[in-house]
Amino acid sequence: MGAFILRRTGVMILTALCLTFVVFFLTNLFPNLEKLAKTQGNARMTDAEVVSWLDRNGYGGPLIVRYGEWLGVVPGWTREDEATGEITGRCIDFGMDPADAPTRCGLLQGDLGFSTVSDDEVGNIIGGRLLLTLKLMGWAFGVMVPAALLVGVLAGMREGSRLDRSLSTFSIASTATPEYVSGVIFIVLLASSTAGLSPLLAEWGWIEGRTLFLGSARSAMEDGITFWNFALPVTTIALYGMGYIARMTRASMAEVMTAQYIRTARLKGVSFRNIVLKHALRNALIAPFTVIMLQFPWLLTGVVIVETLFNYNGFGWTMVQAASNNDIELLLACSIVAVFVVLVTQLISDIGYVFLNPRIRIA
Amino acid sequence: MRDFTHTDGSTGLTTHPVAEMYAREHKAGQLDRREFLVRSTALGLSAAAAYSLIGADAALADGHRSVPAAGGTLRIQQEVRALKDPRTYDWSQMANITRGFLEYLIQYNEDGSFEGVLLDSWEANEDATVYTLNLRQGVMWNNGDAFTAEDVAANFVGWCDSTVEGNSMSTRMGGLVDPDTGVAREGAIEVVDDYTVRVTYPEPDITLVPGIADYPSAVQHRDLIGTNPADHGVGTGAYQIADYEVGVSARLVRNPDHTYWGDTYLDEIVFVDLGQDPAAWFAGAEAGEFDMTYETVGEFVDLFAAIGWEQSEVTTAATVVIRPNQNAAPYDDVRVRRAIHMAVDNQVCLDLGINGQGVTAENHHVCPIHPEYAELPPQTFDPAGAQALLEESGHADFEFELISIDDDYRKNTTDAVAAQLRDAGFNVTRTIIPGSTFWNDWTSYPFSSTNWNHRELGVQILNLAYRTGVPWNESGFSNAEFDELLSQANGIQDADARREVMVRLQQIMQEEGVTIQPYWRSLFRHYSPGIVNAGMHPKFEINVHYLGFSA
Amino acid sequence: MEPLTWSGSFGAFLNPLMLAAVVAFVILFLTNVVMTFAGMRSGDFEVNADGTLVYQRTPMDMVLTGMKYAVLLFVLCCIGYIIGGLTLPTIEQKGILGAMAQRLLPVWIALVVTFALSITFKRRLGLYGKLFDSPIGMAGFGLVMFWIFAAIFSGVFPLVPTHGAIDLISQMRNELPGTPLPNPDDGEYPYYLLGGDNLGRDVFSRVFFGAADVLKITPVATLFAFMVGITLGLPAGYFGGKLDTILTFIANLALAFPVILLFFLLVTPEIVAAGVPQYMSMILFLFPILFFVVLFNSRFHTDPTRRNILVGAAIAIGGVLYLSLISNPSDPDLPLLFRLWPEPFDLFDIAGNLLIVFVSVVFVNSPTVFRIVRGITLDVKTRDYVAAAQTRGEGPWYIMLWEILPNARGPLIVDFCLRIGYTTILLGTLGFFGLGVSPESPDWGSTINEGRRLLTIYPHPALPPALALMSLVLGLNLLADGLREESLKD
Repeated sequence: MGAFILRRTGVMILTALCLTFVVFFLTNLFPNLEKLAKTQGNARMTDAEVVSWLDRNGYGGPLIVRYGEWLGVVPGWTREDEATGEITGRCIDFGMDPADAPTRCGLLQGDLGFSTVSDDEVGNIIGGRLLLTLKLMGWAFGVMVPAALLVGVLAGMREGSRLDRSLSTFSIASTATPEYVSGVIFIVLLASSTAGLSPLLAEWGWIEGRTLFLGSARSAMEDGITFWNFALPVTTIALYGMGYIARMTRASMAEVMTAQYIRTARLKGVSFRNIVLKHALRNALIAPFTVIMLQFPWLLTGVVIVETLFNYNGFGWTMVQAASNNDIELLLACSIVAVFVVLVTQLISDIGYVFLNPRIRIA
Repeated sequence: MRDFTHTDGSTGLTTHPVAEMYAREHKAGQLDRREFLVRSTALGLSAAAAYSLIGADAALADGHRSVPAAGGTLRIQQEVRALKDPRTYDWSQMANITRGFLEYLIQYNEDGSFEGVLLDSWEANEDATVYTLNLRQGVMWNNGDAFTAEDVAANFVGWCDSTVEGNSMSTRMGGLVDPDTGVAREGAIEVVDDYTVRVTYPEPDITLVPGIADYPSAVQHRDLIGTNPADHGVGTGAYQIADYEVGVSARLVRNPDHTYWGDTYLDEIVFVDLGQDPAAWFAGAEAGEFDMTYETVGEFVDLFAAIGWEQSEVTTAATVVIRPNQNAAPYDDVRVRRAIHMAVDNQVCLDLGINGQGVTAENHHVCPIHPEYAELPPQTFDPAGAQALLEESGHADFEFELISIDDDYRKNTTDAVAAQLRDAGFNVTRTIIPGSTFWNDWTSYPFSSTNWNHRELGVQILNLAYRTGVPWNESGFSNAEFDELLSQANGIQDADARREVMVRLQQIMQEEGVTIQPYWRSLFRHYSPGIVNAGMHPKFEINVHYLGFSA
Repeated sequence: MEPLTWSGSFGAFLNPLMLAAVVAFVILFLTNVVMTFAGMRSGDFEVNADGTLVYQRTPMDMVLTGMKYAVLLFVLCCIGYIIGGLTLPTIEQKGILGAMAQRLLPVWIALVVTFALSITFKRRLGLYGKLFDSPIGMAGFGLVMFWIFAAIFSGVFPLVPTHGAIDLISQMRNELPGTPLPNPDDGEYPYYLLGGDNLGRDVFSRVFFGAADVLKITPVATLFAFMVGITLGLPAGYFGGKLDTILTFIANLALAFPVILLFFLLVTPEIVAAGVPQYMSMILFLFPILFFVVLFNSRFHTDPTRRNILVGAAIAIGGVLYLSLISNPSDPDLPLLFRLWPEPFDLFDIAGNLLIVFVSVVFVNSPTVFRIVRGITLDVKTRDYVAAAQTRGEGPWYIMLWEILPNARGPLIVDFCLRIGYTTILLGTLGFFGLGVSPESPDWGSTINEGRRLLTIYPHPALPPALALMSLVLGLNLLADGLREESLKD
């Protein structure tokens, strides 16, 4: 088991290296750098000025060397201004004596770099944003997984029954409703003071505020999460994801219910309730477990849409901002996090699968 | 300098010969009240004096701001952008935040008058070449230094420094900048005494007052010119930055260690960034996330009104231009530009672009509310003629790429232009660029739309955007006759005399087909009931010192 | 002119009937739920003493029967609207629903013909025919075919849409469904059936032009992803070893990339300016040619004449298409490499934005297809018929393409249907972030994104494309479900 985890970790690091290099490569293509120079410097720079700006700010070296600098395996660039003799460099902070600055400052040294758009250290920005997204994802998972398992088990325990057919149709419909469709429909129905339910409810005096739910989750960031500001974003994410898990659970449950040992238990006269709860459930949940873990990376897209739709300044929103502004180091940090999430969930799903399934043993 | 004026010592001049002439014109019905106020206060009259000159109730002048109750937290929906050297500000939003501690010499009021903030009064000589600025006394910087004439002089020198990348103040300083060295002209700025500064232009210039009332002219400490105020926080205002997260929010709180010279009411102001999508703003308003919008646009004006918010409206010279860049083919051909003009009906742009919330314009970027506006014969809308002209120019097969930002009214207006061009037989494709990247090279797109804020005088806009080689000349327009006439107009203080020159300037704009400039926008702002002094400002200014909740 | 009513003159008696059906269904459904909780069950067969079976009816059964009839009534009312639309003479009498039904006449005819033919000959049609044994599969197939025919009769023969996709009438902005045009020209359709959007364009027409746009991109993109996935997945699974390790690593690499980040990195003007889509398409579009060359070569290598003809044709046709696709000599911004192909032979050009959207979608889908194909290959290669082919001395490519692939078709077809749906959603996501095909394109994602802004006051421009997208994806999912069910019965 130890060797297995070690090997997987090795592959993981290699994957992360390759992916960050791809991101680094794409964000450092010349048109992107040109855009960066023009945003940071002056929108009307000439081509020669762009090149000199890039040179002056450490974007001039060969790509691979700069990637090394970002990783922290190559010493950070330094540059002496010919006119003033002032030394600037990647690792030299504002007002710091060049002699005191470390030679390397990159990922390995725990330095994620500087966000050009936010004018702040990436490390300062990304932590808080991640926490916000973790809360959102946590709630979404907390709603999605139990609901999906319940729907799946109920549908799968009597395959072909009316209950099965209606629940299956519901799960198919939910996988056919992407977040940007369900989100807008929810807002119209429940969080608009001019359309949907809220005006009616307000007229009847059933709700105090203007709308039943809040169509913006911003207050959850500062004033804490409440049912009213978090219900819609959480439901929007959960709805799209749950259909898939529910169908997997249903398939797995249906398969288990036809297994020999269930038939034996039935013939022995065990009640249907006990068969489902005591015999079938555990075995039926192995397959969905893998699916659930692999669902994490999928959630990421949903989180980006929902955070944009509901104005929640979390990780997904940060990623959109970083990408559209070509904020290179912020984007790299985002991709590290995203890749890390994907790979760790894959690892957990593999390990968990082994633990749950007694038929698989890894030497 | 001859002293024309009789100052009353506290609020500026009481009269000025030219102002008296304006007052006569106003009474004769040649000048409406707004224009009168703009012109006479620009000469240094206090608003109260100006009102009294035309026999109006002077209480009107003071009455534009009521006194709110002390205390409270106000949340304003507005973009929070990274701050930088105020001279290089390109967004009024930046200034709205720093206005809490970086104040201005003069402010432009909603009613069109100018009012001293850090200046007690100012006066101009007869031919508008020498301006004397009298500073407010007893103003302190929050680092303990006194605010003196040295500060003002240092700021003027900083504003005139056109060698600083992106310094938009240097264009506003006009003749104070020495064209050879690119910095302030020798002797242009004199410190007379601790509280008096004299500014001398080589030729008459009337744009000084509007120039130093504009948002990039925030006054920095004399030793901190060219620095980012977010780094040091030194200013004369009552507030300080408590939090600043770009794209998310900014928080100003009352500075406890500083005695502010004026009155201020709120304890805390939060700027909430909800992005550029008005739908998101509305959702935020319904969710009770802020109390006041920066600006409400399009259909959302009715929506905000429908949820019971107070509405404030102001008619302005703010507009959108859809301009070809003459540095790019085929727009260097005047026939193509004229054809574009003829193919577009500005009324349609107004209806589709901003829901009819404004008045149509005449493609020369001078607004009827500008004092020097000259009325020209109406333009012809002639799609068939446009097509013929386009074919004549030999560019009928050219694929016109029309670029716009990805947001409500600018996109809709540009779409409306694209549709009309297609109707006239142009081959048009549309490109939409997200707001976050659009501004990276807005001046160099071959054919794109840009929004322009309100300016007090017609010549100001022409100076900023259409003079040969100025940084914001996005249409690539370069015309020697135009430049010369514009310089001439800059020195004519009397608006009627200036109008003689403006006629030709406006005609050149139309004849050369410099830009489509379809309408003038009315601007709207909404705030929840009970907020005081939150009215819309033609230049989107928010002065946090005045805001508060009603007593 | 008066605005149209939704249901026209048939509505007078159809509307109350329909409402009654809905009310009855809701009441019965609630009763059903209450009864279930109260422990009631549907009846069961009981054996009588004389050996006959008697079905014991319970109240539950009656409720269920009632629900069934309510649904039936509802469906009949819907059909009534369609018939009303087809038979009544004027648009005013037809109403909005009837008029839409009438515009969709070619689609109805095509659907009826397809179903009639398919059901008549279903025993001779293999897996496709079996689809018509499953109600779910039939429903899914119906929905999918509806949109396919709608796309054909909008994009190829514009019979369905009433106005142009980007024609605007400024007085019609945000007008409600059924609003008449202010002063229609002769021959112009006098109404906006589903109202106007915020630029005064016809929502009804844009939904159907959007269908054509969406169905032009997604199936082709999915097909390309499958060719890439199959061409790489078969050898990876069949040969195993180093090749498998490397290919799997690359696929996992692409899968570890969050889709949305990838799109944001790829679909920006700067990346397009750098020619990245061109380079990517240069690699990705090579696979289909490779696929066909290997396919024909392995099958006919014993018959050189036929082999040469087929392989030559594949290379010639594929090559011209390939070069036309990737190169655009008239665009001076592109790197020289893509301007070498002479203009006269350049059959078509694809705008940079469309190309990058297409390439990105293919790129995102291929690794998953690769994994599926590889998995199936690993499973199938242990079968006897593969061993038999190996002993016959067949080459590896023959075995892969002509033995393994046909036997893997079931799961692949099912995945293909699901994946088209997923691609449709993905395309919508791109539109949602403003990265779509082109800003004025009527494709559903972009229209939803545009309509979303004014959704709270004017829901009518955003809802039709949203419902269209949902119904197409739902149809594809149901179709996939039906196919899976029927192929499992094999």
